[in-house]
Amino acid sequence: MKKQVIGMRMKYAAYAGAANIFLLTAMFLPYVKKEGCSLSAFALLSGIMGNGLSGLSYILAAAVCLPVILVLLGILNMIKPSIPVSKVMMVTGAVEALVMSLLIINSKKMIDLSGIAGDKFMVKDFGIGFWLALVLSYFALAAVMKSIKVHPGHIILALMSVVWLFPIVWIILTSLREESGYYVGYFFPKGLTLDNYRSMLDPAGVIPFAKWWSNTFYVAAAICVINTVIVLTTAFTLSRIRFAGRITLMKVMLIIGMFPGFMSMIAVYNILKGIGLAQTLTALVIVGAAGAAMGYYISKGFFDTIPKSLDEAAVIDGATKFQIFTRIILPLSKPILVYTVLTSFLGPWGDYIFPYMLLGDNSNSYTVAIGLNWLRDFRRIDTYYTQFAAGAVMVSLPIVILFLLLQRFYVEGLSGSVKG
Amino acid sequence: MRTPRKGKVYSRNYSLPTIWKNGNIYTKLSFFIWGSANIANGQIAKGLIFLAAQAAYVFYMINTGIGNLMDMRTLGTEQQGKVFDESIGIYIFSKGDNSMLILLFGVSSVVITLMAFASWLISVYSGENARKLKLANRVVPGIRTDIRMLFDKNIYRLFLAVPFLGIIVFTVMPLIYMILVAFTNYDANHQPPGNLFTWIGFSNFKSLLSTGNQLSQTFWPIFIWTMIWGFTATFSCYFGGMFLAILINSRGIKGKKLWRAVFMLTMAIPAFISLLVISTMLGKMGIINVLLQQWGFITDPLPFLTNGTWAKFTVIIVNLWIGIPSTMLIVSGILINLPAELYESAKIDGAGPVKTFTKITFPYMFFVTTPYLITQLIGNFNNFGVIFFLTGGGPLTLRYYREAGETDLLVTWLFKLTTTTTDYSLAASIAIIIFTVSAVFSLYSYSRSRAMLDEEGFQ
Repeated sequence: MKKQVIGMRMKYAAYAGAANIFLLTAMFLPYVKKEGCSLSAFALLSGIMGNGLSGLSYILAAAVCLPVILVLLGILNMIKPSIPVSKVMMVTGAVEALVMSLLIINSKKMIDLSGIAGDKFMVKDFGIGFWLALVLSYFALAAVMKSIKVHPGHIILALMSVVWLFPIVWIILTSLREESGYYVGYFFPKGLTLDNYRSMLDPAGVIPFAKWWSNTFYVAAAICVINTVIVLTTAFTLSRIRFAGRITLMKVMLIIGMFPGFMSMIAVYNILKGIGLAQTLTALVIVGAAGAAMGYYISKGFFDTIPKSLDEAAVIDGATKFQIFTRIILPLSKPILVYTVLTSFLGPWGDYIFPYMLLGDNSNSYTVAIGLNWLRDFRRIDTYYTQFAAGAVMVSLPIVILFLLLQRFYVEGLSGSVKG
Repeated sequence: MRTPRKGKVYSRNYSLPTIWKNGNIYTKLSFFIWGSANIANGQIAKGLIFLAAQAAYVFYMINTGIGNLMDMRTLGTEQQGKVFDESIGIYIFSKGDNSMLILLFGVSSVVITLMAFASWLISVYSGENARKLKLANRVVPGIRTDIRMLFDKNIYRLFLAVPFLGIIVFTVMPLIYMILVAFTNYDANHQPPGNLFTWIGFSNFKSLLSTGNQLSQTFWPIFIWTMIWGFTATFSCYFGGMFLAILINSRGIKGKKLWRAVFMLTMAIPAFISLLVISTMLGKMGIINVLLQQWGFITDPLPFLTNGTWAKFTVIIVNLWIGIPSTMLIVSGILINLPAELYESAKIDGAGPVKTFTKITFPYMFFVTTPYLITQLIGNFNNFGVIFFLTGGGPLTLRYYREAGETDLLVTWLFKLTTTTTDYSLAASIAIIIFTVSAVFSLYSYSRSRAMLDEEGFQ
């Protein structure tokens, strides 16, 4: 008679059980295979235990012992299938997979310290037993997850998250690191401190970071206000008003937009010099605002979706076009308003080319992008790496908060751009 | 036939010759003295504004404009030189022509002339319009009405004035200037004010696009790499993002918001910060090499950014880190709108997840996102940030022209040519080539999206 449990798929439970048995067997296959030296995980563990257990060998101990538990749980599950047992199996399996993954990066240290397998252990010296155990631990975990209808995609998501968070964690740790310098031979800092932040913000310090930050903020705020007004009025005009040359104007803007913007910077620089504004932050604002209208596209797409009948009704009530814009269209366009404000505020924070070409080499008028790139230079990186990290965090933090708060609007704007 | 509405200035129904033929003496006069027809027909303030514009233009042209245009033919003849001044006993610099300024002033004169031509057209039509209104015994709008109209029917003039001026001065004018520079020899050896540069026709394009000289041996590899990079970066992020979006959105994944937040976090950080940080991590003594050595993967540091082939793979992989989250976001939005009944019937027909993807999800997605993909493609051809902050275009190679490196895209090479080597004419030629490439892809995208609008949906 076939055993049936609601919410369980026995086929996968059987796969998991089999995989765990193989996993246990793999522990007896060669874990280390070097010239003239072949050790199974058990042999390695007992060898290390002979010298007394150290911190890292607990991981190996766990990796060897957990399969035993897993096999026992699997047998239990075969005799009397139940979801709670499978859940325990899943958690244990997850720990086993994690432990096996940790062994890839910790085996060298552990084996070199124990001295059992000679010195200079390399990853290529892992034997078939190790690789088999690694693959099987993940396979068994996926199978047990499938058996109780938990999506195995969680494993992939977890692994991807590690990859994506790795640089972020690294830079935050570096920004808090007490030991200065670019090269350190370890991931976790030996001591933690806030001095890097303090020295970056110190107005009397070597690096005028506070000045860079406020420069960028000034430019971003000014561009944000001016660009939003220009983009929205342009988009409104092109969406709502019919006038001679409208289509031509849109086509011309499309074509102009295809030229790489900074190729003409040298001419812009001379024009600004002519007005007497070269090398100032105001120049940055003016150049940013001057090209703003070219970004009308997404807002226009949004305005196009607002029914024209609203305008017509307003015209009958005696509204002017200006009133239609301020009283009808704008109040209905909150998402695109926020999107425009957000993107035009965030733009200057990441902009490198325009400030670089317009501001010259006066480090007091740098924006954060130029400043941090300047700090990253190979002549400075050794001295200032931890400060660079602190600066990177201080630039990112407000933006990340702003972005995550307003992400709903950002997504709406983005999807608008796809449809358009 | 449409009848010209009241107050309408432009109409396709009458052309300049018709106006000349039908108009009275003032209309004919307004062809030469701007605004005279307006004044004659009662729009005195408006007419005076046109007249003032004409006066200003004529004054400008006589004063400097004509001279500027004349100088454009040669771009300067007198080189700055050293003259021995016997009375003081030293060499003094004689002031020569500055080709760069001559070209810039010339271009601004051209642009001002074009704007004057536009004002002339407006004044003629406006005068004719006033005459017709008067002839039909209707009210000729005064300056007050005109101003009020700026907030109503003619709001486009109010709203577009500033953006239009901004684009003319800071985009169009520099653009014309730079396009013209592509046909000169404005390079490192011809730098004003010390030296003159002059027109050389298509030589820059010839040396870039031909074969055999060092420039073309730099241009073609960089061009090919730009293409490879553009397509690889776009499609790898596209499929990666699609995979991630489908995974996160599939039924049974718990904590969807949390997973999405993790990837959104990397999107929220300004790209230049992530790129700078990652480039420091990938250095010879960076943390990645340190850890790989510690873990026993390698004995010597890997040349992630210092070997040409390695660097090419590195930038593509790091670009995945940057690009996948934003694609995920866009694809998620489309996935949610996918018709659910398609999946249900597919499930009834016994289609597995792979078949569902290849037969339903992917065709639909590809159909909807083609314009997005092409925009991304053009964006990646010009992806300055990833290359500049990661490798700076390096590693440098002796095979290439001066500062160009093996991972340089056309756009980063253009940046180097304008900033470090100051070969402006070459930079301008490359910019025109980039424009041509972008335009070809954009036109294709445009025709595709027009075709899509006409269709009801995908089959």
